[in-house]
Parts: sequence; structure tokens; C-alpha cells
Amino acid sequence: MADKQTKGNRKQEDRQIIGKASATEREPNSSEKFSFWLAPDQIVNPFDIVEAEQMGKTRTFGLVTNVKQITDAPSHLSNYISSDFGSTEATPQTPRQGANVAEVNVLANYDPSGEYPMGIYMPVQSEAPVRFSNEEGIHVALGIDKMPEKNRIPAGLIRMSNGTRARVYLDSRYVLGPEGAHVNIAGISGLATKTSYAMFLIQSILQTVGANDIAVILLNVKQNDLLVIDKPRKGMTPVEHDIWDELGLKPQPFENVRYLLPWGKDTQTTGLPNCFGEPPDQFQTYAYALEDVVGTRVAPGPGLGLLIRVPDPWDTLGALIGEIQHGISNQEPKWKNVTTWDNLLNGPPLMDKGIPQAVGEVRASSVGRFVRVLRRVVRNRQSGVFVQQRAARRAVNLGEEIRKIQGGQTTVVDIAKLTDEERALVFGHIIQEVYGMYAEATIDERADLPKKVIIFVDELNKYAPSKRGESESSILEYVLDIAARGRSLGVVLVSAEQFMSEVHGQVVGNCATKVIGRSDSSELADAAYRFISQDLKAHLTRLDKGELLLSHPIYRQPVKIEFPRPAYQSIGHE
Amino acid sequence: MGNPFEGLRAALEVIAQEAKVLPATGQAVEDLMRPDHEEVIDRLRSVEDKVMDVLLETPNRRPYVELRALHRTEKHLLRFFLDGSARTFFLGDAVEGHRRTPIHVAQVGAAAVFRKDDGQVKVAKSVHKIVLMLDKKAVSFGDKVEDLVERAGPTFAFHDTMEEDGETEKSAPGKEPRSRAAHKAHHIMAGEEEKLGRELRRDKDHWLVLDGSLGKDLHPWRDVPQFLGITKSFSREPTFKLPGPRGGRVINLYELLADLPFSARTCAFSVRSGKVVVWYVRLREQRHLDYPLMGVVKVEFPNPTGEAVPSDLIDMLSSAIVAERQVTPHGKDVRWHAHLYPIYLAEQAVKMGFVSSEVLKAGLKWPTQATGAVIP
Repeated sequence: MADKQTKGNRKQEDRQIIGKASATEREPNSSEKFSFWLAPDQIVNPFDIVEAEQMGKTRTFGLVTNVKQITDAPSHLSNYISSDFGSTEATPQTPRQGANVAEVNVLANYDPSGEYPMGIYMPVQSEAPVRFSNEEGIHVALGIDKMPEKNRIPAGLIRMSNGTRARVYLDSRYVLGPEGAHVNIAGISGLATKTSYAMFLIQSILQTVGANDIAVILLNVKQNDLLVIDKPRKGMTPVEHDIWDELGLKPQPFENVRYLLPWGKDTQTTGLPNCFGEPPDQFQTYAYALEDVVGTRVAPGPGLGLLIRVPDPWDTLGALIGEIQHGISNQEPKWKNVTTWDNLLNGPPLMDKGIPQAVGEVRASSVGRFVRVLRRVVRNRQSGVFVQQRAARRAVNLGEEIRKIQGGQTTVVDIAKLTDEERALVFGHIIQEVYGMYAEATIDERADLPKKVIIFVDELNKYAPSKRGESESSILEYVLDIAARGRSLGVVLVSAEQFMSEVHGQVVGNCATKVIGRSDSSELADAAYRFISQDLKAHLTRLDKGELLLSHPIYRQPVKIEFPRPAYQSIGHE
Repeated sequence: MGNPFEGLRAALEVIAQEAKVLPATGQAVEDLMRPDHEEVIDRLRSVEDKVMDVLLETPNRRPYVELRALHRTEKHLLRFFLDGSARTFFLGDAVEGHRRTPIHVAQVGAAAVFRKDDGQVKVAKSVHKIVLMLDKKAVSFGDKVEDLVERAGPTFAFHDTMEEDGETEKSAPGKEPRSRAAHKAHHIMAGEEEKLGRELRRDKDHWLVLDGSLGKDLHPWRDVPQFLGITKSFSREPTFKLPGPRGGRVINLYELLADLPFSARTCAFSVRSGKVVVWYVRLREQRHLDYPLMGVVKVEFPNPTGEAVPSDLIDMLSSAIVAERQVTPHGKDVRWHAHLYPIYLAEQAVKMGFVSSEVLKAGLKWPTQATGAVIP
């Protein structure tokens, strides 16, 4: 591997010419694209980065988007006839003349002399020699060379067909703000390795930007994937160590991790939280009593609105929720006896002997609807996280715990066993708290907060769906706020989902960095993927596990990367 | 890229000065020949052999011999393939008093390709020339033009359209100069082909295949070993006397080839007083084609001694030719059924060296600064 890398990183004049640029009547070269034919036996693949000699002794870099073979056969029929009229065993005496032609999207022009500071974006001239780029060239091609050293966040490795490997960096100004923020990762579940990449990237950010300035909040949505991230993974191979080393990172688990696990139906008796597998060695349990959701006048909670995910075109339920929250948090006489979920669902003022009552201007039928929906969420179909009374010694208020986040600390909030409504409540609660902390903090208070907060959440489409529908709740407003203002506040959303098309356009649009794993062609046909050229989309349908397409504002084209497996225990205890 | 026709500028200036020039409409236009020139030439060269009644092979006496394709992986005989091409463009008429001559420019070239062990081909040698042609005797300045073109360098040549060369006057008899030009260009091309073929350096057992029939005069080839000519469009005039009981039977070409099975050859006949041996090979099954003459090539084998050629050698060469049926230039050439693909590639190598019609038209404008009147 080292040999190959050395071989690929030789100076331009020492590197082998793999083909020559070719411009034809029908397929001329242009400022954006060029083609080149490949010498016999030369192999290039889509996503390889090549460089062509350009006018003025400059070099034009490009990303291979497609490779095709052309022959002098005008039709398939000619080939059929040439094979002795369809004989599958016929061996040609003279093989048909053909050439492999690679199509390239221009990335950049580089002038080592500095004579052309704007670069030369003339079409690559026909017959211009073409070579594989080395790491230095790849950095120029992507614009990484202009990225200040201190802003570089290792994001993975480019591996090319000739064995050349190049480190790829993200610019921290476009990941953590202020120029841009947020990372979105999409791809088929199980093959796209979305969570692994998010965790690798967060680890990379912590190691390069500085862990002490950054607080991380991770939502564990699947099994116990993120419940052992403070333990090193055993059996890491030397090759995996090499990749971490090559990226200039240490293969280490997360440090200073807090686990917040949900209260379950059996927690009262067993003392165990409602999580998959064994809980971590140290953890806290969180639960929601009515007062935790509604809050008080000075410390408002996430609100009942996060729990009501039904259509409400006339805002009737919204008005009722406002009425309830205002009454409870201000301890108005009519509401002062409403202290538990049962009180709210069964007693006055909403119910009287099992019959819904009108509240203010909200009619009894609407109150009945609200009670039915809420009862289903907090009683009938709940996982156990909603409790009548929360004993502070045994279960914490999640909002209060979020407000305690510190730089250098990673908080894992487990929501794997929660229902969709409960997950929305927890996620909404977290971003509401974080947003509140940063958006409403005074200058003095800001000094005590971590400089940046990274929130990782999977299945973003559930919280910020592209289509307004039944599952809509007030959580969308919170997510949109974070997406739009997060870069200036220092609140960074690292999100993932299977289908980017199902995520609200404003959220995706505000994610400066997009990462795509293997996706199917119908998904890639959606407008959300317009930033990827048609040729590259075709290759996305066959990405291997661990291969991702990375789009970053600094790069002129998305690139295919690989990354090392996380260094923590990814599933359960070993 | 410089103007590839710069060498002709001085000669064209003289023509424009000495005569009134009526330029071709829309600048130079390509002169095409009909019918197939290869067939015309073959007919001319075999005019004396209208009846082929002498079998010049031994020991075979059967009219048809079945063959097994001899693939290069088994024995790689046919290594070099040579073809030429000519494109003729009419530039205009030069009028001097009551006399006039058409002026033509031809791009003439020849190329030989070499087939490597893996079947891939590469150009072994090629030559390209730009030829200016006019009726030298029709105008007073013919010699001057010729001199100027000859001095322009080895890439350029001058030819008198009406000069007799033994073939053009037969292939285009009685035709006025303009019609003769394309035939003349092909004759020049044939000369370049032969020259290139004779100069090729080949290893022993590397056979050379020429496109078309062998020239009448094989004397310059006397020291050249192992070559043959393969004609895809051939004269249909000869008749053949086939061996058989009661003195055999005489049949025409259609009858001969209609009964020629797939992957087989005819017996070998003597032509040109035994100096050349001729036979036909069927490359493709008749059921795939429209016409009995399709899918058949005519093979001409030089036989300087005039003695009977061993049938084994003829079989071996024919078997190698049968193997050439894959691949074909189907869709690129109407004669694909009888075209050998390496020959087609040699032809392409020549044509790829020609400048395009657009470049030719742009590079061959009549010199406007000449004092001679250019009639628009």
C-alpha cells in the first residue's frame, strides 16, 4: 500500500501518461468537461481525479464521471454479424478496433508559476497528456490547498484506481459555522454506514478542532449502538490503525460520556432503564411527568404540542394546548389540581365524569379529540417514559440535564425503545433547550457555554418531513430554526436519514455538507439530489458499504471517500 | 495547425495569373467514381484471361476444396495488410483563350498495418501525398505549374490528367479530363501502394495481403516474398473450365460461385500466362447474403516460375483467409461481406491521415491577389 501511494504521489513529469484528451465534432471539450482516451490496459474508474496538461504550462484537474468504450461498429447488428452471425464461440481474427474513453468534469486549473492567477479555463486541448493526480493535485483540485491548516477536519480518504490515496478535509468554518454548518447523511439503511460516518466525523472534529470547546449530544435510535461509545473496540486490525494514522487521528473511543436512558414500565421495580441490552456502567434515567412537558412560567417545558401529531388545520388543538399550558404553568385556579397525566386526561377541566367539557372557546368535541390523542400517546401506547410523578432522585428532567452540557463532554440520549411521539418529544426538547440556551443567552452567559454544540440525530425525516402531513408537530419549527440559525449560534446538526427526499427542503438546503451512501435510483431522481451530476448518480446505486459521496462547499464536485470504522464498541458489550 | 496545402499556393497563383479561372461552385467538391473502381481495374487486368481453363495447382483436381478456418492462435500467417485511398476534389476550370483544363487536387495515400500476436493491429508504414492534376498540354503554363509543385516538397506531386499510364485511359476511355481525374488519382494511389508494399520490412513467414488485384507488371516485385492480392469486387466476365469426367465443363462466374460452399475455395487457375494463380474463397454462408457473388473474395497469388503451386499452400492461405471473416466492417462499408477487417483498418489509417473537406476548402482558395481574372 505504501509503495502504491508513493508511486501515485510522484511528481507530475514522473507519473505515467494514461491517455490523451480527445475533442471531436460531436463531443467537443469545454470549460466544464473534457474527454480522454485511455492507453490500452489502463484502468480508471468514476470518481478518480486526473489532471491534463493545459495551455500556459498549467494543469487542469477533473473528476472522472464515466468511462465508456467506443468501437467502429455502427450498430449492435454489426457486432452480431461480425461474430459470424451470432456465433458465441467465434474468436475474432482481428479484434474490433475500440477505445476506452473517460468523461471528466473539470474541477480546477492550477498554475504553478502564478502567471495566471485566475487559472485557465480554456477547454483542455485535444491530444493533451492526461495523468492520475497525486495527493497534492487532488487537494488543489478540490480547493483543499487553500484551506488553512487550522481549519482542516479530516473527513476520509480518496482511493483511486492506481492506488493513490489522498486525505480529504472539511473546512471547519463550513461545518461548525460561521460560514456554513450542519452535515446531512443519506443512504440505504445498513449499507450506507450513516451512523458510523457521523460518529467518525464527530470524533475527527473533537480531535482536530478541540474537544474542550465542543459539547456533543447523540441520540441513540437503534439498538444499543451508541451506548458503549466510551469503550475501545477490541480487535482493530493494523490496516484500520493505518487509516486512522493516515488521517492524523487517534483511534480512540469517546471520552467523558454521559448516558441518559429513558424510564420504562418496569424501571420502578427492576431499576433498569428502558434500553436495548445491558445499560452502560454509569447512566441516568429520564422521565416525563406532566410538569416536565408543560413546565413552569419561568422554565417552560417542551410543550404538549410535540405530542400531538395529528392534522389541526384550524389550530383548534393548538389553541387548547395553549390554554392548558398557560393554565397549568401559571397555576390558575381552574388548573391547579391538574398535576398528573391522569388528572389532565380524566378530571376537570377537560373531562367531567368521562364527558369532554368545553374549555374557553374550544368546544367539547375538540377537547374530546385532544384527550383521545393524548391518552393514546401518554397512556395507552407509551413506552413508560411518561410517569405520574417523577422522583427527582431516580429520574432526571431531560431539559435540565441538557442545560448542564459542557465542552469536552458527550451526552448520549437513548430513544431507541421510545414510540415516535416520544422520540419527537425528546428530540424537540433537546433542540429547544439548546436553541434556547444559545439564542437567548446574554454575552456573559455565552462565555460559560461550550463554543459549539453538535447534535446527532438519525431518522431526521421523522422530525422534519418534506411533506406537511399527519405526522407534523411543532418540532419542525424547532428544526428549521436550528437549521437556519445554527451556524451563527454554534449549534450544529449532524443528521441522517435513508431518503433525503423525505426531509424538509430548508433543512437539507441549510446543510453545507452532504454525504450520500448507496441509494436507489428512484430516490436519486428526486430534486434533492440535483447537486450530483447524472453520471455520478448512476454510480451511487452501487457504492460499497463504507463508501460515501461527500459534497462540501469548498469542493467543486462531490468526491467518493472511504473512512475508518469507529474505534468504540459499536454494538453492545464485547 | 498550418495550412496543409500551402505548397500548392505558388502553382495555383500561376494558374490564376495565366488563365481565367472558373472556380468550382462552393469551392472544391469531391469527385466520386462509379462504378466500383476495384472491379473496373480487375476487369482491365484480367482482360486477356476471359477463359480460365488451366489449373495451376498440384495435386488437387477437384473444383471445390473445403477448408477449416486457420486461426492466428494456431498459425499466424497473414500479418501485414495494405490498402490505399484517394479523394479527388475539383478546384475549377482554367481557361486560356479557347483552351481549358479542369484543375483537380487529390489526397492520395497508402498504409500497411501489422497484426500482432494478440490480433491487435498497428500502422507499420503509411504515406500521404497531395497531388495537383490538370491537362498539361491544354494550357501554356502546364510545365511551369508542374515545376512549382515538384519543388514544393515530397508531400506534393503533379500529374497530367491526360497522360497515358496504361490503365486510366482504359478505365475511363474517351472521357474528358474532368472525368479522368478520379481514375488518375486511383492509379497514382496504386503506385504508392505498390511502392510501400515492396519497401515493407517483414520477417520470414509474415505474409502481406494487398487490397485488390495484383498489378500487371510484377517485375518490380520479383524480390518480394510471400504476398498475395485479395479482391472483394472482381470482374464477372471470365468463364472457367472445371475438371471432371469427359473433359470437364465450362461455366461462368455466377455458376462457379453459386456452387462454392461456405468455408471452401475453388481450384486455382492460371492467369497471365501462369505468372499469377487465381482462386476464389467463400468467407460467409450464402444463406446470410443476397447474392451468390457476395461473401466471396478473389485471391491472386504471384507465381513467377509459372509452375504448378502446391495445393497445400493454397489450402493453408485460403484457410487463413476464411478466418478473417471475423470481425467485419458491416455498416461501415457496403462491401463488408467480402472485406477483410485489417484491410479496412489500413484503409481507415489512410483516410484518417487525410485532411477534412472543410480544411481542404478553406486551404485551397484561389489566390485573390493574382492578377489573372477570377470569375466569381
